[in-house]
Amino acid sequence: MNNFRIKVLQIFIIVAFAIMGIRLLYLQVIDNRYKRESASNVMRYEMLYPPRGEVFDRNGQYIVQSKESYDLMAIPIDVEPFDTLKMATLIGVSREKLVKEFKKAVRYSRRRPSVIIKQLTKEEKLRLDELNIKGFYTIYRTIRSYPQKIAGNMLGYVGEVNDRIINNNNYYRSGDYIGMSGVESAYEEVLRGEKGVKINMVDVHGVSKGSYAEGAYDTLPKSGTSITCSIDAELQKFGEELLEGKIGSIVAIEPATGEILMMVNTPTYDPDELVGRQRGNNYMDLLNNKRRPLFNRAVMARYPPGSIFKIVNGLIGLQEGVLTPSTKYPCIGGYTVGRGVKCHNHISPVDLDYAVRTSCNAYFCYVMRDIIDNRKYGSVKKGLDVWSEYVKSFGFGVGLNSDFNGELKGYVPAADFYNKYYDGRWNSLTVISLSIGQGELGCTPLQMANLAAIIANRGHYFTPHVVSRIHDRDSIDARFYEKHNTLVDDKHFNPIVQGMFDAVHKNQGTARVAYIPGLDVCGKTGTAQNPRGEDHSTFMCFAPKDNPKIAVSVYVENGGFGARIAAPVASLIVEKYLNDSISSSRLPLIEYVKGQKIDYSVYDE
Amino acid sequence: MMNRRDNSTLLGSIDWITILVYVLLVFMGWLNIYASVYDDTQSGILDLSQRSGMQVVWMGVCAVVAMVILLVDSRYYHIFAYPLYGFSIMLLIAVLLFGVEVNGAKSWIMIGPVGFQPTELAKVTTALAIARYMSYYGFSFNKLSDFFRVAMILGLPFLIVVLQNDMGSAIVYTSFLIVLYREGFTGYIYVAVALIVTLFIMSFLITPVSMIILILLFCVVSEGIMNGEWRAKIIYLAYVLLISLVTFFISSICLDSAISMVTALEVSILLSMALVAMYAYRYRFRNISLFIVLLFSSIIFVAAIDYLFENVVQMHQQKRILDLLGIENDLRGWGYNVNQSKIAIGSGGVWGKGFLEGTQTKYKFVPEQSTDFIFCTVGEEWGFIGTMTVLALFCILIIRLMKMGERQLDPFGRIYCYSVASILFFHIFINIGMTIGLMPVIGIPLPFFSYGGSSLVAFTILLFIAIKMDLTKRESQN
Repeated sequence: MNNFRIKVLQIFIIVAFAIMGIRLLYLQVIDNRYKRESASNVMRYEMLYPPRGEVFDRNGQYIVQSKESYDLMAIPIDVEPFDTLKMATLIGVSREKLVKEFKKAVRYSRRRPSVIIKQLTKEEKLRLDELNIKGFYTIYRTIRSYPQKIAGNMLGYVGEVNDRIINNNNYYRSGDYIGMSGVESAYEEVLRGEKGVKINMVDVHGVSKGSYAEGAYDTLPKSGTSITCSIDAELQKFGEELLEGKIGSIVAIEPATGEILMMVNTPTYDPDELVGRQRGNNYMDLLNNKRRPLFNRAVMARYPPGSIFKIVNGLIGLQEGVLTPSTKYPCIGGYTVGRGVKCHNHISPVDLDYAVRTSCNAYFCYVMRDIIDNRKYGSVKKGLDVWSEYVKSFGFGVGLNSDFNGELKGYVPAADFYNKYYDGRWNSLTVISLSIGQGELGCTPLQMANLAAIIANRGHYFTPHVVSRIHDRDSIDARFYEKHNTLVDDKHFNPIVQGMFDAVHKNQGTARVAYIPGLDVCGKTGTAQNPRGEDHSTFMCFAPKDNPKIAVSVYVENGGFGARIAAPVASLIVEKYLNDSISSSRLPLIEYVKGQKIDYSVYDE
Repeated sequence: MMNRRDNSTLLGSIDWITILVYVLLVFMGWLNIYASVYDDTQSGILDLSQRSGMQVVWMGVCAVVAMVILLVDSRYYHIFAYPLYGFSIMLLIAVLLFGVEVNGAKSWIMIGPVGFQPTELAKVTTALAIARYMSYYGFSFNKLSDFFRVAMILGLPFLIVVLQNDMGSAIVYTSFLIVLYREGFTGYIYVAVALIVTLFIMSFLITPVSMIILILLFCVVSEGIMNGEWRAKIIYLAYVLLISLVTFFISSICLDSAISMVTALEVSILLSMALVAMYAYRYRFRNISLFIVLLFSSIIFVAAIDYLFENVVQMHQQKRILDLLGIENDLRGWGYNVNQSKIAIGSGGVWGKGFLEGTQTKYKFVPEQSTDFIFCTVGEEWGFIGTMTVLALFCILIIRLMKMGERQLDPFGRIYCYSVASILFFHIFINIGMTIGLMPVIGIPLPFFSYGGSSLVAFTILLFIAIKMDLTKRESQN
């Protein structure tokens, strides 16, 4: 009996020790969790922020600069009683605000540093340094400043990261800045540089115990890389002036490279408003503005292209062989088959050149029906799909893949769409609006400018992009060097170009207002119907006719005829860019454009 | 029957392995105390203003005490067992009346600048007293008076220490259950204790329905192992299941609110007792009553725990229990200490971070790191290798003490050695178990490691009296 009990006790003891041993094996050898948690206990990462990369325009002028700025920090336990009023006055905040923020810091931790006031200016920081208040210090940050005060929407703004960004991206920590839109967002990884880090060890109270491993793992911040935009700051500023008070967009592209020369969105705003301590309020004001100044219309708005789209249909007709430059169609007040499409008063019948010049609706209705009712495709459905493929080769409906995040693809309908919408019962007359750029078509001003560039290039384009150089790299993204050919052969462009030239230069041309002596502007007006109020005024053009240097599209919401506002604006842009100035004889045109008042009550309801 | 002894036999017969293990443990403890209080501004390991320096002083005291114990004739421990016990009880009462309160426990006496915990001494004298009493010729647990006296010798210091509000030290007295088992105390008590603990833990981990089903299955199967008749078992279980389902559905049809499945099961088991009675009568199995008692007491016990836990046990105690069982994890409150302790030990890895390199202990994330949580420093700085070494040394020490007990000629020495083994084991298991999340947080020291004069000296006395007894026995054999 006793021997049994002795054995039981010995086994009991050994089992108990074995349990502890196994538990220790698990804790110390198998489970890695505790090593990580140990590190998070002891190490405090102090961020060293790099200055953000700056932005130049194509002529080397600053459009975005980084300005030094300081965040006021405090470690509450080190703070001794001080003159709160004096300090508040010094840094330009109310005493209540200062006290409130300080109390918040105390609640967070008495021993860990907290941000008290963000973004002090250098002067405020220097004055503060003189006072040398115990427990307070400043850390270096940079904020944006905009010497030209232009292109707010295109450049985008910088803001503090939110929880969603922090969760999705390992790089960012609370308090970091990130490009929220436009170029700032698209080139975030280039502009931001790399944060440095100083690893300190702290005890259980958060008190620093010196650097970790003698600073072996510390890194210095790496400044953000500057970039050069292809924007011409002068041109951009001029464009913003011209469209002031109107809602719309101007996009200009250099056809040979795809570089975007300007991108105006109106209404616009002073980009400096979204920097500094007033940023929050200003941002809310802009956000609540019904005319949506924060909306980058040039790449995000979906507009009907209107008559400028007739060019595309003409080109497809030529390529498909259903149209020759000498083909003539009658037009007595419009296209009379089916529901019909009205047209303005002009001679009849007309050939292609004249149809482009005077923007004849009926002519392109015939062309459109010939394309999609083509016998060789068997059915209108197949015919429309073929048409759709052509249109997409111009960058419509598929997106251009420019360097703007959130660029809209636009919309080009194919047979599927109408099959669903009309339950399969439709024919070429049902979709006749497509012939004149109305109906289900939707595209962005950038796509319209790109269309102008395609015609200028006689059949190809380079993906439009706004950044032409990243300063520490030899080249920009490879996709911007790739030539995109449309499905229409080069030779078919010449008659169309001639038509656009004649629209500016000959009698009955719709775009005569865009005429600039010696610059050989080729243009096409558009008057896009829309269900909300007056027609949109649109215009696309390029110049000079041979070896073009600039392609422009102008879109003015509710501006009426293309020739009323869009065409004069575009011609002023072309003249400014190619001649550097507006000739005195055309100065009244500027006054005329600025004097045109448009009723935007639809926005303000 | 003492032989004349000279120094050579004294040194020759002594259990050098135990001494070596002891010295190693104390030395390692000292290094770890130094590491746990170390920071860069500190002077040396011998600085008397620091705990590591003070520990050296205590180690010196221990060396003297150990020598004295080895020189005193071992008969005196038998002779003075009761007076020493009485003296320590008086000290404990004195502490209760005049003591100093530290961390909520009134367990300190100040003698000049030096604090002293009589609780630690009482462990030694209680071990001596219990050994003395249980070794009288004719002692038997079957005699009620003997049983009561044993209960009194253990219960008295236990009670006073509870009154001092030092629960940790009081629980140590339950470690004597190990000794009592060795000396023939009935095994059923231990089975019952094991059962209660199991039921207690299970009642938190699984639902009442599965709990009752488990208890029922356990009783039926163990009855089957004893008596056979498996067909009857299956019929019985089917019957209980059927009745409980019928009860459940009838109640849900007839009553306004259906009774719970638990109640249905309980009703069904109660009804099944008629069947059990018939079965027992037919097969004449006497031991069936045992299982009936087991079944009902378990069910009642589980229900009682539920009730007590919800209505009687205080919130913070509830949390501690739930935390230990891994049901709730409150890392800012109760779980904080244990979590930090686990982080420290776990982050040591296989090889440890190296002496004085432990960040968790150095920067004070672990509480009480030189006393109750000293094992964290071992785990963090010496890694798995270090913790295994310490565990192995402790295990050797305890097994060796039990062997020492077995080779004693008279029961007094045997019981005393087992008491020492039990007390040490209990401290080690509770303390290390607490730092690695196996045991609830109970503030008792790790023998030879934790900083503190009283405990180091007391454990040294405890151990060296056993060594002396072993030495005496070997000499007498020479």
